Amino acid sequence: MNTFIVTRLILKDWYLNRPLFVAALFTGLLTLGAVSAAKGTQIAVILGVIVLATILIGMGAVIMSSMVNERRQQTLPFVMSLPVSYLEYTTSKLAGSLLIFFVLWLALLSGMIATILVTPWFPHGLIPFIVIMAVEILVTTSLIAAVSVTTESQGWTIGVTQVGGLALNAVGFSIARMPSIGHTMSGPTIQWSSASIFILLAEFMLIALMIGIAFYVQSRKRDFV
Amino acid sequence: MTDLAVQFAGVTKKYPHFALTDIDLELSTGGIMGFVGANGAGKSTTIRILMGLVHQDCGTVDVLGHAMPMQQAVAKRDVGFVSEDMRLYGPLTLAWHMNFVRSIYPGWDQRYAEDLLRRFDLKVEQKIKGLSHGQRVKAALLLALARRPRLLVLDEPTTGLDPVARREVLSELMAVLADEERTIFFSSQNTLDVEQISDQITFIDRGRIIESANKESFLDRWRRMRLMLPPNAVLPRLPGIVEVGGSARLPVLTVSRFEPAMVAACQDAGVAVQAVDAMTLEEIFIVNVQNRREREVA
Amino acid sequence: MYLQIMEQIREKVAVGEWAPGEEIPSIRMMAVAIRVSVITVKRAYLELEREGVIVTQQGKGSFVATDPGLAPRLFDREFNEHIEQAVRIGTLLGLSSQEMALRLRDTASQISENQVRDEDLAKETL
Repeated sequence: MNTFIVTRLILKDWYLNRPLFVAALFTGLLTLGAVSAAKGTQIAVILGVIVLATILIGMGAVIMSSMVNERRQQTLPFVMSLPVSYLEYTTSKLAGSLLIFFVLWLALLSGMIATILVTPWFPHGLIPFIVIMAVEILVTTSLIAAVSVTTESQGWTIGVTQVGGLALNAVGFSIARMPSIGHTMSGPTIQWSSASIFILLAEFMLIALMIGIAFYVQSRKRDFV
Repeated sequence: MTDLAVQFAGVTKKYPHFALTDIDLELSTGGIMGFVGANGAGKSTTIRILMGLVHQDCGTVDVLGHAMPMQQAVAKRDVGFVSEDMRLYGPLTLAWHMNFVRSIYPGWDQRYAEDLLRRFDLKVEQKIKGLSHGQRVKAALLLALARRPRLLVLDEPTTGLDPVARREVLSELMAVLADEERTIFFSSQNTLDVEQISDQITFIDRGRIIESANKESFLDRWRRMRLMLPPNAVLPRLPGIVEVGGSARLPVLTVSRFEPAMVAACQDAGVAVQAVDAMTLEEIFIVNVQNRREREVA
Repeated sequence: MYLQIMEQIREKVAVGEWAPGEEIPSIRMMAVAIRVSVITVKRAYLELEREGVIVTQQGKGSFVATDPGLAPRLFDREFNEHIEQAVRIGTLLGLSSQEMALRLRDTASQISENQVRDEDLAKETL
């Protein structure tokens, strides 16, 4: 793998999309601020987190589509005229978009955790739930990235985004209902149960799986342009 | 053999409505090959396979000694590719593109690039989306030429250019060939350009190579013979007659394998040879394609 | 196309622009300069060498042949070609050889008269 060319391509994509990233960060922080300011019942908090998560996923999808629209813009022949293999091209797209999303994600997660720790009206027991949901967002976004890069179709990307958003809602509510997690959410301490650890591990494995499948599908393609 | 810059052997690629069949091609280092064909004949597909952007169904493709598409990343270090459907990044400037390409290719020649800027009349600070079609083509060519690649692969480099721009581009292409180690492969619908600067000519039609030959010997073989038939004479049977036109008394034979002895053969048969005309590449191309199509129908 | 190139080179040698023994541009350089394929120029050079107009030495380059009678020979050849052309047209017109010869002589004297007159005019205006 030629890391030099992959890096150059990632930097190129970041440079091209910098206004989008700034807008995404701004929107994310705004939403975070709104959610943080809302005090209330546990249900309200969960809803707030899910709203934040959905918006975050939406941003992820937008970032993904803009990174992967080389074919639509007909710049793909130019990129593929460079000394790069299709595998390296795929890597640059996946890595580039996931990395930038990760930055956004990390910023918002840290912000959320900081808010919980600092403000008095959010119980610290929420944190494991938040983290699980946050990583769930990463899972969904990896799925969107994988679909986006392999299909290069806006239609598919939007479809998967919507399904992902719905799934997130379902996951969010069902995890909140799980006894080992739900009961400790309103508590003042951070408690990691074995269930929550297990869920986290499963999520990371899903992420790896998505990315692996994306690479596999790309390597089987015979017509690149 | 690294003496061949490009080699296709038995390349086939099938699509639902079109197929490239049994493509054989050879281009030696230092030469320039003109690739001629009608729209949809398979020129672009062949070039994409050449660049490793499309994987052939069977057959081997070697570019500068590297097997395509497997080794395309290595091969493309020494190849400059410009195609008609290629676009650069609209919101970015030509200067950005030049820096981008320069950061990737160590062979970038800045002075040559600036020289080309002047001769192609391009402004670095202009955004790509503000350029006309001709300017965009020249910009893409500049980016490919300035890194002095060993092989230039061009898909319709002069299409859509005004006469002045065309002449500039042809000059630059010829200047590339001043270096014996550099090779050019270009496809074009402009038979005049192909006839003028190519060493080798390849015709493609309906996914098959019809001819691939040294230009001069190719042009030598094709002739139009204007004959005058006396009332009772019969047309002599000559090998390689592709087309018979004209009128019954004044037939015009188009032959693809002309020999001076044919003139004698005609005269012996009592047929007067009024003229033996050379044919332009365009005329040969048209006759070739029409002939194949008629034979297919029949 | 290679015929045109040959014609141009022959003219250059005939008028003395390229002196006998002088080096002429290599095939590649010539091709680049006039924007014509290398193979066409190569063909032209080969034919010219066969005619004895130029000489190509492997590894050294191409030179005008060192033949003092070369220039007049080239002009001579051109003269003959033009005469042949005129005769062919004359035949189509139906002229006999005597008529053609007469026309040739008339044209020659006409041109030389014009030349003398032009020279006198030039002298008067100076």
